[in-house]
Amino acid sequence: MTQVLIAEDNIISARIMEKNIKDWGFCAVLTKDGKEAWTRLRQNPKDIQIIILDWMMPRVSGIEICRRLRRFQDKTGHYFYIIMVTARDERRDMIEGLLAGADDYITKPLDLLELKARLMIGRRIIMLQTKLMELASRDSLTQLLNHKSILEHIEEELDRSTREGHPLGLVLLDIDFFKKINDTHGHTVGDQVLVEISSRLKNSIRKYERAGRYGGDELLVVVTNCDWDKVKKVSERLKRVVCSRKIMTDAGSIKVNLSLGGISSVSRPHAGVKILLRACDRALYRAKEKGRNCCVVVP
Amino acid sequence: MNDITTERRNLIDIPSALERIGGDSSFLDELLELYQSDFMEKFGLLRQALEEKNFLSIHEIGHGLKGASANLSLLDLQRISYNLELAGREKNFALAEQSLRDLEEGFRNLKSFLAQRKSGI
Repeated sequence: MTQVLIAEDNIISARIMEKNIKDWGFCAVLTKDGKEAWTRLRQNPKDIQIIILDWMMPRVSGIEICRRLRRFQDKTGHYFYIIMVTARDERRDMIEGLLAGADDYITKPLDLLELKARLMIGRRIIMLQTKLMELASRDSLTQLLNHKSILEHIEEELDRSTREGHPLGLVLLDIDFFKKINDTHGHTVGDQVLVEISSRLKNSIRKYERAGRYGGDELLVVVTNCDWDKVKKVSERLKRVVCSRKIMTDAGSIKVNLSLGGISSVSRPHAGVKILLRACDRALYRAKEKGRNCCVVVP
Repeated sequence: MNDITTERRNLIDIPSALERIGGDSSFLDELLELYQSDFMEKFGLLRQALEEKNFLSIHEIGHGLKGASANLSLLDLQRISYNLELAGREKNFALAEQSLRDLEEGFRNLKSFLAQRKSGI
């Protein structure tokens, strides 16, 4: 459900908007002035999609909040759809509001049908933007997270892991002799193998796990709250799920094996993403040295 | 429209208020209760602002009351609140004082009307 934050110091206006917005199928969050709105938005920005800002509020005005939000957005990448609400209906005020970063503008006294229509527009834009971001974060072949997105995901989870004191697990998967598959059967068959492996991976990972395409034939799985023992179990599960059946391709059915390297941040509590990935890479290298088709998890 | 009807309409234009809030009369009752408690709080702040000759606060309180009154089609209180807002903006102490007195009377009239309406008079 689309969440709408209302920043309005007029308690009657706020209550009217809140009730109607809920009746129209949105979730409404009320704040009584600009300062409270700003604090709330900074705490959990991704919870809110649309913001209704009254222009004139004590402590911090709506237009100042609008400017701050656009600067905040530049840093975080999270887009808010902003509707300014005000009794100031002079053209230059409307222009000032739009130049400050508002997406839309509505004047008081509020016409509820107009507000509803403008919220629907906001919701369409937000849904479109979400879809575009989703497409931009995906690898076009495998539909897993792409390289950039899986690394960003690791950064976020590492931050959370540090805050909450739960270790993070990484598992790097490499398709054994993938180059040979491409050379023997062609890249189209190679792609079919990659797509099927990715699909099996996607269908087997749990909701607290994320999979991404790290390199050409290298996939990376991120597991939260994961110590050394759990990384081992996850690696074995992934290998079993992916390799237990042959893969149907245009060149017939092909047996694939994986080499997997896994680590947990439990023994590297202050390590950054690069150090963890290097350790994971070394684990994978050891799996290949051992003859491939196996998992190596290093403490 | 006779004088009594006009007078009542200036206290609160009920059809207009209902139209503005989507037609729900029980919601209107809830909003009127909310308005009254908010008014009491703002009135206290307004008295203090006048004592301190804090025209910025007078302006802000006037602006807030004007908006709240307009939402519920409380025409008299809306008009008086506008005067208060203006008094704050122009640093007009006499107008602010007069507006305070008018607000008190206007609110008393509104409360009385709403009480009568509630008891079916």
